[in-house]
Amino acid sequence: MLAYIARRAVLAVITMAAISVLSFIIIQAPPGDFVDAYIANLSASGSSVSAEEARGLRILYGLDQPIYVQYAKWMSRVLVGDFGESMEWHRPVAEVIGDRLWLTVALSLAALILTWGIALPLGIYSAVRQYSVMDYILTTISFIGLAVPNFLLALVIMYFAFVLFGANVGGLFSSEFDLAPWSLAKIWDLIKHLPLPAVILALAGTAQLIRIMRANLLDELRKPYVITARAKGLPEWRVIMKYPVRAALNPFASTIAYLFPYLVSGSIIISLVLSLPTVGPLLLKALIAQDMFLAGTIVLLLGVMTVIGTFISDLVLMWVDPRIRHELD
Amino acid sequence: MKKAVWLGMATSVVIGLAGAFTAQAQQPSANLAASGLVGKLEGPEIISDASKWPKAFQEAPDLAALVKDGKLPAVKDRLPSEPMVLKPLAEVGKYGGTWRRGFLGPGDWENGNRLNASDKLLFWDPTGTKIVPSAAKSWEQSADGKTIRVNLRKGMRWSDGAPFSADDFVFWFEDLYSNKDIVSAPIADMSPGGKPGKVVKIDDTTVEFQFENPHFLFIDFLAGDTLIGGGQSVRQSQGTTYGAYAPKHYLKQFLPKYSSEQSVNDKAKAEGFENWVKMLHFKKDWTLNTALPTIGPWKTTNPINTPTWVLERNPYYWAVDTAGNQLPYIDKVVLTLAEDSEVINLRAIGGNYDMQERHISLSKLPVVLDNQQKGGYKVHLDLALHGSDTTLFINQSYKADAEIAKWLTNADFRRALSMGIDRKQLNETFWLGIGTPGSVAPSVQMPQSPGKEYREKWSVLDIAKANQLLDSIGLTKKDSDGYRVRTDNGERLRIQIQAVKALLPWPQQGEMIAEQWRKIGIQADVREMERTLATTRTRNNEHQIMIWTNGGTELLYLFPRHALPVDPTEAYVGPEFATWFSSNGANGRAPTDPNLLKALELFRSASAEKTEAGRDKIAQDIWKILVDQQYMIGTVGESPAQFGVRLVSNKLGNIPSRSCIAQHCRTPSSSHPETWFFKQ
Amino acid sequence: MSTDQTSREEQFAVATQWQLTWWRFRKHKLAVLSGLIVIAFYIIVLFADFFAYADPHATDSRRSHIPPQTIHFFDDGAFKPYVHGLTQKRDLRTFKLSYQIDPDRKVYLELFAEGYRYNLFGLIPSSTHLLGLKNAQPEDGIFLLGTDLVGRDLWSRIMVATRISLTIGLAGVTVSLFLGVLLGGLSAVYGGVVDMMIQRLIEILRSMPTIPLWMGLAAALPNTWTVIQVYLAITIIISFLGWTDLARVVRGKFLALRNEDFIAAAELAGASQFRIIFHHMLPSFLSHIIAATSLALPAMIISETSLSFLGLGLRPPAISWGILLQDAQNIETLALAPWLLAAAVPVIIIILAFNFLGDGLRDAADPYG
Repeated sequence: MLAYIARRAVLAVITMAAISVLSFIIIQAPPGDFVDAYIANLSASGSSVSAEEARGLRILYGLDQPIYVQYAKWMSRVLVGDFGESMEWHRPVAEVIGDRLWLTVALSLAALILTWGIALPLGIYSAVRQYSVMDYILTTISFIGLAVPNFLLALVIMYFAFVLFGANVGGLFSSEFDLAPWSLAKIWDLIKHLPLPAVILALAGTAQLIRIMRANLLDELRKPYVITARAKGLPEWRVIMKYPVRAALNPFASTIAYLFPYLVSGSIIISLVLSLPTVGPLLLKALIAQDMFLAGTIVLLLGVMTVIGTFISDLVLMWVDPRIRHELD
Repeated sequence: MKKAVWLGMATSVVIGLAGAFTAQAQQPSANLAASGLVGKLEGPEIISDASKWPKAFQEAPDLAALVKDGKLPAVKDRLPSEPMVLKPLAEVGKYGGTWRRGFLGPGDWENGNRLNASDKLLFWDPTGTKIVPSAAKSWEQSADGKTIRVNLRKGMRWSDGAPFSADDFVFWFEDLYSNKDIVSAPIADMSPGGKPGKVVKIDDTTVEFQFENPHFLFIDFLAGDTLIGGGQSVRQSQGTTYGAYAPKHYLKQFLPKYSSEQSVNDKAKAEGFENWVKMLHFKKDWTLNTALPTIGPWKTTNPINTPTWVLERNPYYWAVDTAGNQLPYIDKVVLTLAEDSEVINLRAIGGNYDMQERHISLSKLPVVLDNQQKGGYKVHLDLALHGSDTTLFINQSYKADAEIAKWLTNADFRRALSMGIDRKQLNETFWLGIGTPGSVAPSVQMPQSPGKEYREKWSVLDIAKANQLLDSIGLTKKDSDGYRVRTDNGERLRIQIQAVKALLPWPQQGEMIAEQWRKIGIQADVREMERTLATTRTRNNEHQIMIWTNGGTELLYLFPRHALPVDPTEAYVGPEFATWFSSNGANGRAPTDPNLLKALELFRSASAEKTEAGRDKIAQDIWKILVDQQYMIGTVGESPAQFGVRLVSNKLGNIPSRSCIAQHCRTPSSSHPETWFFKQ
Repeated sequence: MSTDQTSREEQFAVATQWQLTWWRFRKHKLAVLSGLIVIAFYIIVLFADFFAYADPHATDSRRSHIPPQTIHFFDDGAFKPYVHGLTQKRDLRTFKLSYQIDPDRKVYLELFAEGYRYNLFGLIPSSTHLLGLKNAQPEDGIFLLGTDLVGRDLWSRIMVATRISLTIGLAGVTVSLFLGVLLGGLSAVYGGVVDMMIQRLIEILRSMPTIPLWMGLAAALPNTWTVIQVYLAITIIISFLGWTDLARVVRGKFLALRNEDFIAAAELAGASQFRIIFHHMLPSFLSHIIAATSLALPAMIISETSLSFLGLGLRPPAISWGILLQDAQNIETLALAPWLLAAAVPVIIIILAFNFLGDGLRDAADPYG
């Protein structure tokens, strides 16, 4: 077991190195550089950048050097924990991301809890009462969540909340708490603002989970051991919950890998529409502005989360399915 | 084939001819008069007659409290002995209140800069037509144009109380601008005829800019939004160091000259900067460094790179109203971050902002108007002065495809394209009928306007004439769908239009134009692309036609790049020519078109022209050439599309009914926001 | 009666797997309905221009933001559907557009009418459309779902958009499917180094941010390609990244199945790895693959709409659902022209349909049912 973990750790490092190189290249892939993006942004807002200013900025940011030099410099700093400064925010990258990280995690957790909390019971119910009216209804409602493009839904809900209730639009805090330091009142304000974005985020994921849960459970319920259990006189709920559900959860182990990056990035699109101060829009804007260090660090972070997630997912898979565990020995 | 052609064109042509269709023949002015949303240009007046100045001064209550505690000198000691005295537009205001605004992040730093633009030495009056003093008291220019003297206000102080004097100008020139580590190359503004000028102190309140060649445009440069004249807020932030003056007493501690390279580098590392240059760029940036002394009405107390950018009153601001109250009236400006401009609009409609003109899009006007009562605000429409919000810049230095280059550089081809555009349709759809169709020439109100005739020359819909012109230049053959074919290989002639979804929905407008060009047999492919990509492609001379605004050209010499290829950073009309022009022939390629050459020559000659009237005449001549040659096709302009939809809370007073929307007016600064106040 | 039963049982006994599957599928009513809907959509894909009646590219400011029009079906008791003429007016104080109906002018509808020219199946020139107006003036028109800001009819645009949205996803899904099964299977069957390398590859690809990849690719592809060619190329390239989900799941299932007796039997009988994978293992979790595929197509459609929202997917003048939705994605549309949201309806319907169809197929193919 220990050897397995050690081996995975080494592989993780190699994977991360590959991810960092590829991400750096891709972030640089769109033509132009940060100064171009900066010029473009300024002219689009009605202001100007002169040729002299542009040249000066390029030198200032070291953008006049070849790409491998820039990568080497960046990597050498990352390895000592210095993630550099965001060219757009003029603050250390760690601070810029750190500000938003907790909010993003809170929101993603809320959405996940909501999703799993709704989807699992409904999925089980759907499978157990297959083809019933309730099954159809539940399936249809959940699919509407999946089928309606979520950015549209977010905008519509936001607009109607404003029109009908005069609700404060977008964001995760009321205006009086924006600047205030963290306090119980601020946390309560956050909790009050979380449901709407969390629900919208949860909608799409719920349907998918219900479907898969239903499909998996149906597979299991058809297996002979279920009939045996029933024949042996186990109460119905035990028949379903004790073994089939556990087995049905098996494939979800593979999906744990992707929960981790999601926790950290949230949903870019919904966050944009609802103006949520999360990491998703930060990444998108950094990519468009070619703010190298910020974008690169976020991508690295996502990479780390994915690698960790995959590792944990494999561990869970081993724990859940003893056949796989025994193969290792 | 003929029948197919007829069928294909039938619907569109017939629709085009159905003139007696709707009640949309009103002139824009009638539209706007009925709406009551456009007022007249007005603003506070500067009282220059010293005998009319107030003798006693008052200040804001929280400042008065500080004075009582001994933490601040008395108000009359904080003000210069020659303050700027403003007569408020409507009434003497009251102190207090927080102005709420929305911004999009550190990239939207102009949002705050434009509130502080009175930190320029000279400025423009609220109508945008006359140069007036701002931070400086007055100016003089020598007869030969080689020396410009700027007189400062006696007793004026920086926001931390230190005196503001000519030393700050010399400091900027010698220690910042001339230091190659900080500013890599001299700027054209300071180098007429290629020869760099210098800044000299005559006495504490007198500064001279001395040049070897006549530089008659320099006053305009100081008043406009240029590198030299833009003011400390915009010209010393974001890593640039222009703006003519800088706080010597504060910044000198960060320069090696005043200690040593070693010690400033150590200081930099201690504070987390890579080297002293990076530290300096941070320290002189008013949006990031709250300790930086400034001279604008408000200074930053919570920096821009946070979700809430907060500006608070500058206790040493050098302007008062006619009753002796030190300005500004408003205590604080709070800008809250929104991830998306749609959210800004929604918040504005909800009454969450007190005065917002930035990022409000014209297409939302009906919704904005509907919510006036609910949101507690009033809408004002401010009309711009430049010719065309949506301008088709035709790249004269394009070379990737010889056949296309041949047509792009053919004046009749361009004129035909221009006459094939139905500007009324564009105006109705995208400007709600509010704009003025026409060419790229600025509004006839502007002194540099070549006249009404040139607003319309080649810029009125005439399908028959357009077709005729295209036939006459050799594009006679058409394919089975009715599109004209290339003369080199017989394939369909396709012109690419590059459009970015930025200030206006240009890609959509491009599509409408492309549809209209079907009737003259021209196929245009609109390529919508991401902003940075468009900038890069343009810089590399890859575009054929680019859609952008020609804002800024209302005063041609201050911001010429949207009219002439003179600045390589944004040269839609001819990137290679811009490189040639700005490097004085060293790089790039010279234009061969004699008309374009003449226009550039005229432009160059302007700074040697003594009188303003003379320079205006030169500008008019340049416009005549540009309109006649149609290097840029104008469509609809003089509209509120760019920062012209202004939402003002009902609680604010002294608000002008119309303000100047133009590059040089640094909207909204030329309307003196320091005289606005909260009525309760 | 007993003979019927026996004959049915006999039929049952001798039926092929596909017949069994079909019979089971038929029982799932919702799935059958969904299948019909999907077929209907693909008929629209083939005949898109025929079902449209207005040129989806023709802009006209005089038709800007026309609300959905009422069709009157009975004229003086007889069945003669007609619409009224419209006059545009802009309120000079609120700047809102409104349309007045001209009650005296009736324009009659007709089937198989003449309209704009198009190429059927991209080859055969035609100008026949399902609906049209008889003796129409140029300013008249049918506006079943209203028009957008530049005066283009929404119904016609939705018809044409169906073509692009439904076909473009197919390419991507096919590639993803093939790669996912192949690589997931190889990973599981060979294990060891192969497994490790493929898993690492999956991790790397999975953490790749797709947005800059799209931006970079969009810029790197040749300038002369049309918007649709660019999108197709990018979709296929992205699907090279998208197979990872399926591969992981396939691998998981394979690992579980590897120790089944029937696989051991096949190995002992001398079957090749290839045969074991595709002939023996695959059918065991075919249902899972079907479920995953039927989710992948809608996922492609949703990702197309999302990418258009971010400005990275298809761009005008191409017409797709994502582009239509992008037009609706702002407050002025919600407030002034909410009918433009109708573009979301076909998206919802087709996604639901694919999902139910997938459900039905999965249930039908399930060998344990």
